[in-house]
Amino acid sequence: MIKVRNIYKTYHPKVKVLKDLSLHIKPGEFVSIVGQSGSGKTTLVKSLIGEEKIDRGKVIIGGWDITNIGRREVPFLRRQIGVIFQDYKLLPKKTLFENVAFALEVCGAQPGRIKKIVPHVLRIVGLEDKMKRYPHEISGGEKQRTAIARALVHSPKVLLADEPTGNLDAINANDIIDILLSINRFGTTVVLVSHDKEIVNRLNKRVITIDDGRVISDRERGKYII
Amino acid sequence: MLSLLRILKFSLQDITRNIWLSAVTVIILILALFSINMLVIVKLISDTAVDAIKEKIDISLYLNPDSEDNEINALKATISNFEQVKEVEYVSKSEALEIFRQRNEDNPEILQALRELGKNPLTPTLVIKPKNLDHLDQLIHQINKLDSEVIDSRNFSDHKTILERINSVTDKVSQAGLVLSMIFLLITLSVVFNAVRVAIYTHSTEIAIMRLVGASYYFIYMPFMISSLVYTFIGIVAIIAVFYPFLSLLQPYLEAFFVGYNINIINYFNSNFIIIFGLEFLGIALINVIASFLAVRRYSNV
Repeated sequence: MIKVRNIYKTYHPKVKVLKDLSLHIKPGEFVSIVGQSGSGKTTLVKSLIGEEKIDRGKVIIGGWDITNIGRREVPFLRRQIGVIFQDYKLLPKKTLFENVAFALEVCGAQPGRIKKIVPHVLRIVGLEDKMKRYPHEISGGEKQRTAIARALVHSPKVLLADEPTGNLDAINANDIIDILLSINRFGTTVVLVSHDKEIVNRLNKRVITIDDGRVISDRERGKYII
Repeated sequence: MLSLLRILKFSLQDITRNIWLSAVTVIILILALFSINMLVIVKLISDTAVDAIKEKIDISLYLNPDSEDNEINALKATISNFEQVKEVEYVSKSEALEIFRQRNEDNPEILQALRELGKNPLTPTLVIKPKNLDHLDQLIHQINKLDSEVIDSRNFSDHKTILERINSVTDKVSQAGLVLSMIFLLITLSVVFNAVRVAIYTHSTEIAIMRLVGASYYFIYMPFMISSLVYTFIGIVAIIAVFYPFLSLLQPYLEAFFVGYNINIINYFNSNFIIIFGLEFLGIALINVIASFLAVRRYSNV
């Protein structure tokens, strides 16, 4: 599903963030990518969604080589990969329904389909009764669940979660992880980028550890080792 | 069609849900448009003033006091047929005296001297108004060529100097007005340009999010462009609503200042309504579209 081969990324002038990093994630896997701040996790995520261009190497998502993806192709890539972030990235002037619907509207979905899918995904994350609220009217955990609902509307094969629990308390963090596990059980590949030791250890799933821009450990039933 | 409707919906949502930002943007546009329309008024006033000065320029052809009426009329007709002549007016000896008295009514010494003289010392005159001051030299040349015993004096040497001074002053006024207008216009347009950029800057996070969820550049950019056009339209409608009452207030002062001259600023705006407000709409809309394009392009680079 995700093939990353010998990628390099250097920020100007001489900050080498990724150094010959390679990994392979199979369809349907739940993989945690862990590492300390500055290890290159976020740059890796950015390169997977076409936000950051790598200097060398190859990035392939679902058979699509996105190494040199064009500016016009990026929206199409983003519609195929669900992404959630620590800061939720919700549109503040839109209701939860509109936030989720927006991801469908921008790719030309018919109104009937939007009216059917949006309440459905909001029901999956337990927000069907709050869909008319604005982001500032709900809690952090609910914001993250809205972001997950938005990521799910395209039924993506891959869901990238970049520190999704970073701003949440333990209870909300566990709720989010449970939702991600449910999504994974339905066949979606989930890539969780985190430095939350407890969560990663509780999952008891594959863990890839990155340090100084390289993969230093890749274990099937791994633990947070740094 | 569906995309267009959605773009319109996003644009109207953006305007109404950011109502204060929308209000500030429209107010800046109204102020900018007010400034531009003030430039139009200043231009109209300066043109009227220059025309008023030029209207005062004429050539006096002094005639022999013993001339017969038919000779004078023949000369008047000849001069009236000159291409460069707008109007010829005959001022008789007695009329000239009356005008002289009126002009010097506050000067008793001159009036006393005139009384002591015991007769009318003034000559009848043909007052010639040129069509175009730029061709005054040619007109003087033609008058100098006239061979008529009716003409008593044709010394126009002073006219050229005075005219050169007047032309110099009016040209400088026009040039200074143009330069000031251009500077003012550039400042106004840069204010509008930056107001739109600031308005879009406040949406920079949203733009990044739109891009993140797969919105194409077109889908991000178009609502902002539509919003800009809506702001421009509201601004133009508002300036029309505000400016006409302002013109009504200004008109009596202008009439009092330019007594005897036809200056009607409301009529001027009415007869040039489409040109003035149409061009303002196009100009401001163009600036807004360019500013939106550049700002969205910058913040959507995710």
